[in-house]
Amino acid sequence: MGLEALAYPFLFIAIFFESFVLVTLLSAPARSARGRFMDAIFPSVAIIVPCWNEEKTVAATCDSLLALDYPKDRLEIILVNDGSTDTTPSIMERFAKHPQVRIIHKENGGKHTAMNAGVALTNAELVGCLDADSFVESNSLKEIVTCFNNPQVVATTAAMSVHKPENILQHMQNAEYTFGITLRHVFASINGLYVTPGPFSFYRRETLEKLGGFRYGHQTEDMEMALRIQQAGYEIGNAPRARVYTKAPSTIVRLIKQRTRWITGFLRNVLGEYRSLILNRRHGVLGMLVLPTALLAVGSGVLLFVVSIFTLAQNAIVAIEVRAGIPLSYALVPHGALDWFYLPVNFYILLAIIVLATSIAFIIIGRRISRTTGDIALGMVSYTLLYGLVAPLWLIRATSDVALGKRRNWRY
Amino acid sequence: MSLVARNALIALLITVVLVGTVAYAINYLNNARVTELSAIEEQLSIDSLSLETQFSLLEAAPCDSSASSATLTSELADFSGRLSYAEDQLGSDNPQVIRLKERYSLLEIRDYLITKRLAEACKTKPVTVLYFYSNAGDCGDCDKAGYALSYLRNTYPTLRVYSFDYNLELGALKTFIAVTKVKDTLPAFVINGKHSYGFSSLADLEKQFPKGALATTTATTTKP
Repeated sequence: MGLEALAYPFLFIAIFFESFVLVTLLSAPARSARGRFMDAIFPSVAIIVPCWNEEKTVAATCDSLLALDYPKDRLEIILVNDGSTDTTPSIMERFAKHPQVRIIHKENGGKHTAMNAGVALTNAELVGCLDADSFVESNSLKEIVTCFNNPQVVATTAAMSVHKPENILQHMQNAEYTFGITLRHVFASINGLYVTPGPFSFYRRETLEKLGGFRYGHQTEDMEMALRIQQAGYEIGNAPRARVYTKAPSTIVRLIKQRTRWITGFLRNVLGEYRSLILNRRHGVLGMLVLPTALLAVGSGVLLFVVSIFTLAQNAIVAIEVRAGIPLSYALVPHGALDWFYLPVNFYILLAIIVLATSIAFIIIGRRISRTTGDIALGMVSYTLLYGLVAPLWLIRATSDVALGKRRNWRY
Repeated sequence: MSLVARNALIALLITVVLVGTVAYAINYLNNARVTELSAIEEQLSIDSLSLETQFSLLEAAPCDSSASSATLTSELADFSGRLSYAEDQLGSDNPQVIRLKERYSLLEIRDYLITKRLAEACKTKPVTVLYFYSNAGDCGDCDKAGYALSYLRNTYPTLRVYSFDYNLELGALKTFIAVTKVKDTLPAFVINGKHSYGFSSLADLEKQFPKGALATTTATTTKP
């Protein structure tokens, strides 16, 4: 049995978690959310686009917002230049004469300050955020505002995908984001979300002001705000057909930097100010299942990676030692008959296959419920083969940063 | 009961059923392996007995049965590989594995004795290796020695390698160890009656073989 036995409890929990997601996906609240239709009520909306050196994408982001299928007099777009040092301000000014667009130039203070500056400028009922590297589909806003028909809902998230994935790493992230669509849809149906991501999340302005606006939030102001909303007893919804596409890191170094920021932000927020949510029955599925499982996923990811590397190294050393002095023509060729008898399956491998197969099913489900188009096959292959190898890198980096109190610059 | 609690209970039930099914499937597969091994072992046992009977019947011309003996040795080698794999999967302390190992050891001893008798009767000089190992954690070089012997057996198919777990509690094996005078310094080899202990390298092991023995055995592999 050996070291792999350490993985059994985590695999059991992973299967339980995935089973819970599947059962909840088939439950009435999620089914009802999927059956929700856009209605003809159009609350006033302001979409804030915080920008810091976004010269390459801000124009396209703004164009996609102006193309939204929503009454023009009910929608305003607030571009916030957060002290950019590139040509972002001049690109923004091209939109200055547009009746729906308002522009703010301010000293650099971080994304949360840019969001607060935008919120302070508007009286709209709903306030949304769109990162300046993201683009929306025209019906997305109508899908979003429909969620606010429920008076308990004070914030709503969209369905994210990677914008034009090109390399294998971006395809992997696209599959992961599509997996996230299913999770976000399911957990929103039972109020279990703890992030309102930068790409196209919306809030009731009154609630935002009541809660005191955005904070630094350990470089993850979207997560901090969602946790604060949950702590205050409100609900966060999800519009699975509100499509938004965001740029994803194209290199492993950038990806590790981005995810390290996300994970350190999660750990610092959840283990810090929002510790009281964990295992708190008052916060339902978020406190009792989602946050404990997310924390466990971080810990188990690190542990299993270290154990796997150790086991792999140990086996490699033994294999090399055993083969020392044996001609390579024999040592490098696998021996043994092709026979069912030698089928390399054991308890660990079969459980891992169940977890992986269910994850793939979630990707397919996410794609279906969000009506996402485009090829996902390469994404699923790269997700299957790569994710388990690269995710531990940022998990280890993030946990060591938190343990050692190390702070990093979030820009990459 | 709340929706979340109900779903959690259903999920737990699904998880238990899935994990239970996996455990059942693994157990089923392992049982099927043991059944397969038992069937092969049964067949080997019959083959061995048949060879012995054949040998007794053909007292006048015993060399006619040598082809069958070579086949049996090859089947024993295949059985050894399967048994070793089953031992990895089920554990060396599994009662079924131990029982199969005991019967396998008996078959090996019988084959070794038949080979010796045939060699004497037919005036041939087969190269036989008795290899004694331990998997009780007290033999650091046994894995290397086992792999080197696998290589030799693969390269020289007529080489007869008989592997024995030195610690197996089997009367016949204990007697065999006493008769062949093998000490408990493992790994131990008896190559055509000559004893050697320990393993350092393939080259050193090859030096233990009678001069030209490996080349000779290679030449005989073409014999049908």
